[in-house]
This record gives sequence, structure tokens and C-alpha cells, in this order.
Amino acid sequence: MISVSTRFTSGADIDKFAKKLNSKGRKAAKTVRVCIGTGCAAKGSRRLYELFCEAAEQSDQDVRIEAKCVGCHGFCERGPIVVVEPGEILYQRVEEPDVAEIFRETVVGGRIVERLLYEDPVTGKKAKKADEIDFYKVQERIVLGNNGLIDPTTITDYIAEGGYTAFAKVLSSMTPEEVISQVEVAGLRGRGGGGFPTARKWRSCREAKGSPKYVICNGDEGDPGAFMDRSIMEGNPHSVIEGMLIGAYAIGSEQGYIYVRNEYPLAVEHLKMAISQAREFGLLGKNILGSSFSFDIRINRGGGAFVCGESTALMASLEGRTGEPRAKYIHTVESGLREKPTNLNNVETWANVPAIINRGGEWFAGIGTEKSKGTKVFSLVGKIVNTGLVEVPMGITLRQIIEEIGGGIRDGRSFKAVQTGGPSGGCIPAEHLDARVDFDELTKLGSMMGSGGMIVMDEDTCMVKVAKYFTEFLQKESCGKCTPCREGLAQMLYILDRITDGEGQVGDVERLEELAELLEGTALCALGKTAANPIISTIRYFRDEYDAHIKEKRCPAKECRGLFRYEIDSEACKACGICMKNCPVDAITGDKKVPHVINQEKCTLCGTCWEKCPFAAVLKV
Amino acid sequence: MHAMRDLLGEMPVCRGVKSIRKNYPVPTVTIDGCKVRVRKDATILEAANRAGIWIPTLCYHPSVSTDASCRLCMVELDRGEWRQLVTACNYPVRRDIVVYVSSERAKKARRGVMELLLARAPESKELKVLAKRMGVKETRYPNVTESQRNCILCGLCVQVCEEIIGKAAIGFAGRGVDKAVAAPFRQPSEDCIGCGACAAICPVGTIKVRFHEDEKEIEISPFKSRVKMLVCQECGALIASTLVNEQALTKANLNSEEFRERLRLCPKCRRLQTVANLGSVTFGKK
Repeated sequence: MISVSTRFTSGADIDKFAKKLNSKGRKAAKTVRVCIGTGCAAKGSRRLYELFCEAAEQSDQDVRIEAKCVGCHGFCERGPIVVVEPGEILYQRVEEPDVAEIFRETVVGGRIVERLLYEDPVTGKKAKKADEIDFYKVQERIVLGNNGLIDPTTITDYIAEGGYTAFAKVLSSMTPEEVISQVEVAGLRGRGGGGFPTARKWRSCREAKGSPKYVICNGDEGDPGAFMDRSIMEGNPHSVIEGMLIGAYAIGSEQGYIYVRNEYPLAVEHLKMAISQAREFGLLGKNILGSSFSFDIRINRGGGAFVCGESTALMASLEGRTGEPRAKYIHTVESGLREKPTNLNNVETWANVPAIINRGGEWFAGIGTEKSKGTKVFSLVGKIVNTGLVEVPMGITLRQIIEEIGGGIRDGRSFKAVQTGGPSGGCIPAEHLDARVDFDELTKLGSMMGSGGMIVMDEDTCMVKVAKYFTEFLQKESCGKCTPCREGLAQMLYILDRITDGEGQVGDVERLEELAELLEGTALCALGKTAANPIISTIRYFRDEYDAHIKEKRCPAKECRGLFRYEIDSEACKACGICMKNCPVDAITGDKKVPHVINQEKCTLCGTCWEKCPFAAVLKV
Repeated sequence: MHAMRDLLGEMPVCRGVKSIRKNYPVPTVTIDGCKVRVRKDATILEAANRAGIWIPTLCYHPSVSTDASCRLCMVELDRGEWRQLVTACNYPVRRDIVVYVSSERAKKARRGVMELLLARAPESKELKVLAKRMGVKETRYPNVTESQRNCILCGLCVQVCEEIIGKAAIGFAGRGVDKAVAAPFRQPSEDCIGCGACAAICPVGTIKVRFHEDEKEIEISPFKSRVKMLVCQECGALIASTLVNEQALTKANLNSEEFRERLRLCPKCRRLQTVANLGSVTFGKK
């Protein structure tokens, strides 16, 4: 890290400074980049970073060696990830004992440690660089491009990679209207879920009467399994700040807020650092870069309510009131935070803005489909081989994401459905895997883009239980303000509970559908209006599973306890007695060399025998 | 909203008037085919009232701000290519609009919400009366949420306590199905002055005022808040909450000694005393 006390007074200063940073003398000859994104950090990458730092300090090499912590690479499944420069050699699943070897062999010796390279599970081919791995090949990384390259805790890294030049360009040579037109040409739509055209929002806010105007970055990412915004805030916080600066200039705002979940401590820390560094460098504050434009950002930490990701609830929370939504008949761009014109965008939306300004709206519009432009970050989780964070151009098919990037389903099982759009999204079955991922296409399929969660499910997943899981989540997270959401979700959950307990009644599906329609029409905010999506989409595509639960009292995926039995396959059973010993209710009988049998009357369906059997002889039927 | 309503007082909603003043645009609202003109930013509910069309409401009260939380006043708004359900109580009329109150979809939505409310508060007589008027005989749903008995969480009590009485002795506690109206920590509130405004505004009759003759106290149920009552020094009847009296004295700016003197007696005894004082006076022609 280079310590500098620089205060930019013009846009040219940024260029000069970036040139200086990139000059040969300043740049380390060799760099080890250790991912400290949440996934890798959980696997102990912080310690790896420290070890590399120690090794770099103690080395007697005559070139400068630098260990660097960087943001999420996206390939969380294979973490911790370490990249060695020169050569961009990517090592995966690195453990503490490997550090010395990597340092000795690769950093000092320039040789490759074969066993730590990524090996393609199908071809068995080893990949040296990220580009050679299928997981990265199909991706197009605009927002995540610098994640994994720069140290999020220092502004100089961001500037060296061309950071803040877009903002300097905007300030020196573009009018606010020109900025908005560029974003309009780009066709950028809100990445938080709604997909509202960003330029239109900015323009309405710019034209709205009232002052001051506020810009807000929504970092209250709460969808189960989603961590896109988290990784951007943790790995490249300056891109969000630069996006907000450009937006604020276009809208005419002097004060910004970043509302971030308190459950993201690293994101809060990195954002705090980024803001204070940007202030030091004169990129935030009064008369930025010698212009008349002033802007500053405050961080507000959320209190843990999912509903605070809804714009009006978020603003209520920012004001210090209970995080409850209000009617949006008067839009927030007219009357939002403190009843002033307020423009709220999601983290990913803001992070897209600098690239659009730098490379032009037309370039951005060249990526994607007719109505959905650019790329989208998805967090790919569930029963998939390569879990992680992926950024793909809009219009890519679900199949490409799941099979090419995700590497297909785990343990050789077959694909059943993918849940997109978070708890308010829907489940898309195998027959629609060739659907193109864009805002409108997913909505047509009964799901939605949402903020980009993608949960992959295999054949062992009970879709009724999936619907129940999300309904339960939303029922717990409902603020309780409006009747349909509070009461309707409780009623739907009551019915779903009944169905998964094997007590479903004929007509329950219709009851669910009626309640879903009621919720969609009458709930106050988007949480309630879309809350029935998981139920509706699973009824639409997996009606037979509901019927099996209700009419036959059977769970086809064998997940709902009580709706299937355990039986012992007499041919596979080796009569080892393990199940017998472990059965808590002595329901299993048998003898040496005699296949065991489960007494169905005694069995409480706890599943212990199924878990313990070393020969997979206990079957769910 | 208050400012708007004040304006409404000065600026009557008009029917058939071409223009009132240039500064006040008067959009036309067509409700179920009936045309009314209202000032800009009036609500659909105000327009409906003007047109004599009834829309059921629960959480709406003209004296306090509108939250649109009960969702009972759903009506259908014509958006040209599609129709949207909106709440009549807070949808601001900004241009000429077409609204359907008695369309099938609007009726179904309102009845659906009412059924959910009946499931939540099955014992409320007031709710049943309203349901009957809406054509809902009973609810098909079981009672599955009961964080607070018979309360529909409309929030009027919270609003009146804060906005009109200025005390904020009660508020919402909890979230979602656990949400309830309560005083802080669900303990009897020290801020409660026992005025009973919350009980008066409660649309489902859940909040009650109880008098404890023995302790000479007023209790607001279910908040358990108790306040001492003024007692008639003549007959011992309970007159009013002592704290309401204090509040009235500070607000009314009366000669407090005289006021206190009067409050020694209950209205009945005071009348008797007045009559007694009049004893020497003779009525009739001189």
C-alpha cells in the first residue's frame, strides 16, 4: 500500500496520479492476491493473507513482492482463492501449509504448483488462469471486473485501475442532462428487483420540485442465498461511491446515504474506509475537484428487517422511524426521504454507472437483449457444483448459467427447478431452462429477476416445502402493517403446513390461489404483492406434487416427514446391525446374516437408520 | 394531509362548477359512472363521499393522518390499458380519473380483506355489522393470528394518542403476526392520561374504558394503564381523570382556581348546588 496525502483539485490530477501509480517504479514486480471475500474469509483466507505478507517481508528477493487482499472472485465453491502475478496463476482451495510452497515455487521460482490448480471435473484438464476455467469463460464481468484485482481498503488501487475518471469526465465535460441521456442510451434498469429504467428515475428526481434532494444506495440485501451486493460493497466499494457521485451530479443532490445491512460488517468497514479516503482525496465534500459541485455520503446500518429493502420502508428507517412501507401513489422521486425528492438505486445499479460513462451508453446497450441491457450478477447457490457469484450478459439462457457456469447438479442428481428473484420470485422448471434471462422473460414465466438470487434445486427437493419455506420467511419478515400481507400470509402458511403434514384438504390449492390473488391486488408494498409468487409458480409447474400431498398423502420428493416410509432393501442389507443399534424406538428387528426389517407401526420416521446405513440399504418409499 | 384537509374546508368539493379559481385545478372523478369534481390532491374517498357512494373504511379517520393499512377501501382505478386496485382513502386525485367502486374485482378484494379481518377479530360486533353491510356473512378462514385479541391493528388509537392528544402513550410493538398495540414494554404507561380517546376512536370496539369505583381509578383496557379520578366531594361519584383535568387546565388557560373549585363536584351535584344558590331568587314579573 502506498501512503499518499493527495488532494485532487481537478480531474487532470486523477489521471496524473493514476499514471504515477502505474509507473514501473511504483508497481510491485510480483503480487500475491488473496481473496478475502466472505466465502473465502470463512475458510480462513485472512490467515493466508497474513502468512503471505510475512513471507513477502522476509524474502530476500531484489524485486518488490506485495501481498494484497482483494474482493470476491466469485468462485466461492473453490475458495480460498489465491492469484499470483505475473502470470495470473489461480490457485484454489489453498490451505495454510500451501503458503510456503506457493511462495517458494511460484512467487520466487516462477514455477507452477500443479496440485493447487483447478481441474476440470469432466476433462481432467488443469487450468492455469481464470480465463481457462469454464466457470469464468461464459461470464462477462463489468461490475465484478475489478473484484479480485484491487484491494478494497485502499483508494489508490481503484484509481490505478482507472477509477474516478468517469466522475472526472462527467464533472469537467458533461451537463447533468447529458449524463442522464447516456444512462438512457445505455438502457440501464434497476438491479434491485423492479427493473425500473434508471434514467427515467433520475430525470423525474432532477425535475421534481423541492430541495435538498437525496440519493440513496440500497445495500439492504436480504434475500436468502443472495450475496451480490455484499461482494460489490466488500470488494469494490469505490465503484458504488463513484456511481453515486455521478448520479448525484446528474440529479442535483448534495447528500447521499448508503443503507447497508448490519449483518455485513465487512461491507460496512470497507465502505467506511472508502468514504473517508474519498474525502481525504477531495472526491467527496465541498467543491469537489475545484467545481461548484458538493456531495457527501453517510452510511446507515440496517436493523435486520428484510422489509427495509423496500424503498419507502428504507427511507422510514433512515428517518429513524419503524421500517414500514407507505403507499407509493406519490413517488419517492417527488417525496421520499424527509418528504424531499429522493432517488434510490440498488448497489449493483450504482456500480454499473462508472462503466457506462467511461465506455459510453452505446457500448452498454450492445450487451444484452432488446429491453434488458448490460450484465447481471447472480449468486448461484443450492444443489449445484460450482456455487458462487457470476456475472453474465442479459439474454443468456438459464441452461448456460446452470450447466456451463454452474457445472450442473451435484452428486449426479437431475435438475428440478431454479428459484430466481429471492423469496418473492418463483420456481422455473426444467422445461423452461432455455428461457433467456432478462427482466421481462422471467416475469412471463411467473418468476422475476429480483436482485439476482438463483437457488438451484434437484429432484430430491419437495416443491411444496420450497413454497412453504419462502412463505414462512416472508410471513416472519412481513412488517405487519397491512391486513392482506399479515393475515393472508399467515393463512397461506397455515394451509401449506396442513398440506406438508399430510392433512391437506381437497380445495386447498384453490384456496391458496384465491389468497394469492387477494395479496397481489390489495397488499400495500411489493413484499406483499409478490409474496405469493413462490406458491403460484410451484402450483403452476408442480401441481402434481400438491395433488400427491393432498390426495394420496404422499410426498413425491420424499422430503415431507410422514408422507413416506423407510424400508430396508433386503438385497442390499448386509445385516450389520448399525441401524438396529441406532434406532431410538427399537423399531428395527433382524439377526446376524438376516436382512433387517423396520416395524412400520413403531417407526417414528426420524430417519436415523437412513443416515447411518453404510450400504444405502435403507430406502425412502 | 392536515393542511390539505384544512384547504378542503375552505374549498368545497364541487359538482358541476366549471372553474373556481385558476390556481385550483378541479379534476373530474368518474365513480361508477357518476361524475364529481374535486380539488387537486383530494382523495378518491372524498370524491366518493361527495358523489354519495359508500366505500367501507376502518383505519381511516378524518382527524388523523391516513396510513391505508387496513386495505378495506380498495377500489378499481382505470389506467387505460389495465385496471389497478388502489386504496380510496389515500389515493390522490391529480387528473381526471375513472374509478370503479362496485366492479366485481373491487368488491371481491374488499370482501377478501374483510374475511381476513373477521378471522383475526371474530368477536368484534362492530366488525360483523360492517361485514354484513358489505355482504360478507362469515369468514372462510380460521383464526390463526392472535397477538392481540380482537385488534385489527388499524393504528387509529396510536395515531390519535400521538397526533391529537400529544401523548404517544401507546405504539406498535413487535412485527408481522406478532405485532400489537402496546405501551412501552407492555407495562402500564406513565404517559397515559386516561382520556379514553383511543377507546372512542377504536373502530372494532376492542379498546375499553373501565372504572374502578373502589380505587377511584380509570383504566384503559387492554393497556392496563390506570389513572386516578377526580371524585365528587358531595356524592362521591367519579368525575374525570385527574390528568385530563391537568391537561385541560394547561390548554384552556382558565382561571385554574375557579376551575378546580367547580370540579369539586360532579355535574349532577353542581346543578343541585346552582339551584340551591338560586333559592333566594324569585322568578316572574316584578
